[in-house]
Amino acid sequence: MNHPMELYIWGGDWGLPSVDLHCLEIMAYAKFSGVPLQTCVTNNPFWTPNGRLPVFKHGKQILSSFPEISAYLRKKNFNADFGLSHKQCSEVLAYTQLLRGQLYFALQYVRWVDTKNYIELIRPWYAKALPFPCNYYYPGSYEREAKHQLQALYDQDDDPQSIETFVYGEAEKCLTALSTRLGDQEFFFGVHPTSLDATVYAYLAPLLKVPFPSPALQNYLKACPNLARFVVRITQRYFPYAIQEFDAKKSAGSGARGETPESVSDFPNRRRHQVLAGLFAAAAMTGYALSIGLVQVSIKDEVSENLANHEDLIQAAENTED
Amino acid sequence: MPSVLLTESIALELGAQEPWPQDVKLFQPYEVEQILLPDNANCLAVQAFLKMCGLDFEVEPRSNAEYMSPSGRVPFIKCGAFVVAELDPIISFVNHKGISLSDKLDSVQKADMRAYMSLINTVLANAELYITWCDKTTLQEVTKPRFGSVLPWPLNHILAWQKRSQVVKKLGVLGWGNKTLDEVYEEIENCCSALSERLENRPYFFGDRPTELDAQVFGHLFTILTTPLPNNRFASIVRGYPNLIELCKLVEKEYFERTAEA
Repeated sequence: MNHPMELYIWGGDWGLPSVDLHCLEIMAYAKFSGVPLQTCVTNNPFWTPNGRLPVFKHGKQILSSFPEISAYLRKKNFNADFGLSHKQCSEVLAYTQLLRGQLYFALQYVRWVDTKNYIELIRPWYAKALPFPCNYYYPGSYEREAKHQLQALYDQDDDPQSIETFVYGEAEKCLTALSTRLGDQEFFFGVHPTSLDATVYAYLAPLLKVPFPSPALQNYLKACPNLARFVVRITQRYFPYAIQEFDAKKSAGSGARGETPESVSDFPNRRRHQVLAGLFAAAAMTGYALSIGLVQVSIKDEVSENLANHEDLIQAAENTED
Repeated sequence: MPSVLLTESIALELGAQEPWPQDVKLFQPYEVEQILLPDNANCLAVQAFLKMCGLDFEVEPRSNAEYMSPSGRVPFIKCGAFVVAELDPIISFVNHKGISLSDKLDSVQKADMRAYMSLINTVLANAELYITWCDKTTLQEVTKPRFGSVLPWPLNHILAWQKRSQVVKKLGVLGWGNKTLDEVYEEIENCCSALSERLENRPYFFGDRPTELDAQVFGHLFTILTTPLPNNRFASIVRGYPNLIELCKLVEKEYFERTAEA
């Protein structure tokens, strides 16, 4: 098979190779097991088989979930868990389920349901990353999906506050367990990264790096220094380009900030838009005033009666007002 | 968020000041006619946990236990002025009274225990729900008659349908909705083999003393082994792991037969 293995992913930002959990999981697993994987940033889930990224392509094989892809790679003799004993493999399974059961929905909550995070950060980011017509559809659809998930799981709690408390409580217990389990080790099972490390990295890295406006859970993660170091270590060792790109962008941003405020870079041609919007509003208002006959009748009459004399014009205007 | 967490912990603290009262009652559905596989597993796990702690309680079967429970799930215990539902909250409630099965474990073992407990919660519990409510034969032959046994005519169909749609929605969210029965059996197989690898040849998961994890494993596996279903492949998968069977027998002998004699 001479076909290259390709992975279509969401783009990265904030020093992450990708902002999406599922993309990160596969990318980290591929790095750990030495798969020559080519990643293509598409930011467009429209053409994928089930409407979501990542998509893994190898010749005619098209796969999109982590268990499928890791099973496929194992068949191709790329295995990150090669050196583990049976007992350690069983621990990998248990901790993976712990993350999936307790942390995943908290992450969904932080990203899509927490209003402040969603409106100020997540929706603008996805709207900017997605190409034109999709950017009106996908962020909202992901939000609805996340809300539906949390509602289906915690249906007895009508109060959103109690859902938040419960979800964050579970997530904190999970983070504590991970932090104790990792201890001072480099990776979860010694010096070599395994599939569990890939999964943990994928869950924790976005939570640590994305600058969420409401950072309750993020602060909890930052209070576990070994987990924070774990994320930084993997990013530096396996995805150095993401950090370099982010630093370059940051320094470019701070260089430009000396001359112009930061908001300009978010909205290019801001002045032009303002002028155009002002003109449009003025034209619309004038049109409306003209169409319902608020203004023009008197003016037309004056103009047709007498164009030459200015004082007459004012007089006439006063008359009509009376 | 912190304020709400605080009120929760205050409630637990207040409960902790009182000793374990004499008249604790554990509410659950009727075991012989009504209870379904997932509920039975949870009830048995809580019973095993309380017995391992050496705490007295009385089982109080109620046909509407599910609707009495504060969380909408069974079982729940009434302990003095407090009503606590489900295994995890009951464990932390009991821990606040200074009684714990896992205080001898070090912190890494506690983390491991948490991970395995969530393995059971996500795999075995969902597999039980799937087989009870999504497998057509089981649904028609076992689930609906048992669920409706305590309800009058139109309600037994309506509530069963409502409950089923709730479960299907939940399983769909958790990614179990599109699974086939064979994939579910494969998940169970993986879960049991992971548990069996972890248990090795010891009597309990963490040495000679039982922990919360043992209570939960016992609750689920014992129920799976003893519940008659139209398709008994579920039980036969579990039977493939002799050390897990040994664990179930040991817990039954130590904690359930002894109390039955007394």
